Amino acid sequence: MAEFSKQLERLEAIVRRLESEDLDLDEALKLFEEGVERLRVAREQLQQAELKVKKVLEIESPS
Amino acid sequence: MGAPLSPGHGPGLDLFAAASAEGAWTVGEVTRRARAVIEAGLPPLWVRGEIADFTAARSGHWYFTLRDKAAQLRCAMFAKQNFRLAPPVDGVQVFVFARPSMYEAKGEFQLIVSELLTTDQGGLWKLAFEKAKAALTKDGLLDPTRKRRLPAFPRRIAVVTSPDGAALRDIQAVVGRRWPVAELIVVPAQVQGAKAEASVCSALNRIRRLPVDVLVVARGGGSVEDLWAFNSERVARAVAAMPMPVISAIGHETDVTLCDLVADLRAPTPSAAAEAATPDRVEVMAQCGVLGQRLARALRIASRHVVERLARTADRLSRSMDHRLEVSGARLTAYGARLDALSPLKVLARGYAVARDSGGQVLKRVAQLPSGKAFRLRVTDGEVNGRVQ
Repeated sequence: MAEFSKQLERLEAIVRRLESEDLDLDEALKLFEEGVERLRVAREQLQQAELKVKKVLEIESPS
Repeated sequence: MGAPLSPGHGPGLDLFAAASAEGAWTVGEVTRRARAVIEAGLPPLWVRGEIADFTAARSGHWYFTLRDKAAQLRCAMFAKQNFRLAPPVDGVQVFVFARPSMYEAKGEFQLIVSELLTTDQGGLWKLAFEKAKAALTKDGLLDPTRKRRLPAFPRRIAVVTSPDGAALRDIQAVVGRRWPVAELIVVPAQVQGAKAEASVCSALNRIRRLPVDVLVVARGGGSVEDLWAFNSERVARAVAAMPMPVISAIGHETDVTLCDLVADLRAPTPSAAAEAATPDRVEVMAQCGVLGQRLARALRIASRHVVERLARTADRLSRSMDHRLEVSGARLTAYGARLDALSPLKVLARGYAVARDSGGQVLKRVAQLPSGKAFRLRVTDGEVNGRVQ
């Protein structure tokens, strides 16, 4: 699973580019599709219901 | 000359002035020099002793003697240093942090006290704390510019705390509610007792090698002794050396430990530390909603440009079609006129007539018109029947 902050950063970059540049329709659509996909993944991550808890013991040898 | 010199004798001779001229010092010069020597030669230091002759002046300044079995020292503690403290009583054992100096007006060696700790108020702990703090300060570890920013969306959050304390439960609850996107890595440590210092250091060392975005060091409230591991210089240095930002939540809000001071953020409670470590997913969800709206709007705007361009092209196309139709129309009208001129009706109108037999065949020759032959004659406004005589 991609790192959430990277996901959001890319999403923001896509929105800014789509807002600020005069793109041809093809490129705009491609960016839009990527944005929608990233938004979907981000939302999915946020909806994750349960926290993963891992205990690391001091005596455990470093991996 | 030769007579013994004594004051009052020898008119006109000022012995005092004469002695000065030979290099004798004034009292003021001596005390001033002595003060300079003392202040340059003795740095500020911690001194332990017993209070005697304590007086609080109307100005708020405190004056007292600090003594032990061997000697005594005059001390002054000014109002701006002592205003938070309760005045000590004579006979109590104290530590003072003081700058040795000279009170020139009285020619008295004295200590200018900036801190005063009584041993019965945990002064020994405080002394050790102050010493360690001074060492950390000297190495720049308490410099506010060292404080790192916390990650906005942490992936892995490590926690060093007691494995069965309320602190861990609180942290787990808060992170689970606000940011379950993260993974919580719990590294249990003994947080009080003789082994606490080594245990905490070893836990920190363990985390140093893990890919962790932010670390929470937590311990619930307790006595000064209970919190002592987090006031150890060794633990403080280990915290300062962590490669990721550290949030410290040790004891109650009123207890500030060295660990709190070197951490990148100090939180009043373990729950507050967990809140500081995490974004709230409800807010992030809303943020995603806004981004989604902007995305849709941006596409609408981007596609509007394209649609407008298409519309402009279509307009141009239809305008050029219109033009071509006009030209063609004019040409058709011209052809029509010429066709009209060639029409046989026009010839009939000039007075010619056409004869056809009953089958419609045009009769052009005499041989086609024997006597008695019926024919139809087409003139400009109609037809009539005829017969050859």
